[in-house]
Amino acid sequence: MIKITKNAFNLEEEFLKIQDNSNGGYSFFLGTVREDIKNKKNKIQSIILECYEKLAVKQLSDIRAQAIKNWNLNNCLIIHRIGKLFLGEKIVLIITASAHRENAIRACEFIIDNLKVNVALWKFNVSNGEEQPVNFKNKDKEKFLKWSEVIKY
Amino acid sequence: MKITVKYFSWIRVKIKLGSEIIETSDNLSFSEFKEILRNKNPIFLEVFKDKSVKYFLNLTEIIDTNIFLKDGDEIAFLPPVTGG
Repeated sequence: MIKITKNAFNLEEEFLKIQDNSNGGYSFFLGTVREDIKNKKNKIQSIILECYEKLAVKQLSDIRAQAIKNWNLNNCLIIHRIGKLFLGEKIVLIITASAHRENAIRACEFIIDNLKVNVALWKFNVSNGEEQPVNFKNKDKEKFLKWSEVIKY
Repeated sequence: MKITVKYFSWIRVKIKLGSEIIETSDNLSFSEFKEILRNKNPIFLEVFKDKSVKYFLNLTEIIDTNIFLKDGDEIAFLPPVTGG
């Protein structure tokens, strides 16, 4: 299941959507809006997430299919929020489900590493009423590229 | 023909537009279309200089800029993504 939404989500409700007795392990990744403690001058009050929705859904579907195939997952759920979000709010949820924990954990990490560099979403920090685009981080790209040694295409 | 163009992140901010429909003559390659945009607004000079920007045609990344466009196509300008 893939969902891009402006609405908040509930962890337990989302978990129940993919809960099944065939699963022996689930892995969760939850990304939230954090304070930028290094930037004392411009404290972030909120963020805005922009999305090219048609493309993002396609990209997330491809990533999900790749993860299911590579780690033999029984199920996988990805939710990403868009619009204005305040400090501490949930941004992204990934739940992977498999017979054994290792596959679920690895697949979950692969999905978030992939999402961060390949899905049509853009963050803006809102500070003192001004919106500033967040810069792409090369370390995210380097982290994703390491998966090329693992994933079977 | 009519081409829908979508702008995201800093490009949208600079152009002050999320999307627009541009009417052009038929039988135009993406490369020629870029030339039209360059003449339309000097901001596109900066956009096209930035090698990190990717271009998508109907949800597929444009690799060969000589690809021909057709009526109803959707082109998107994508700076490096920062979701998650």
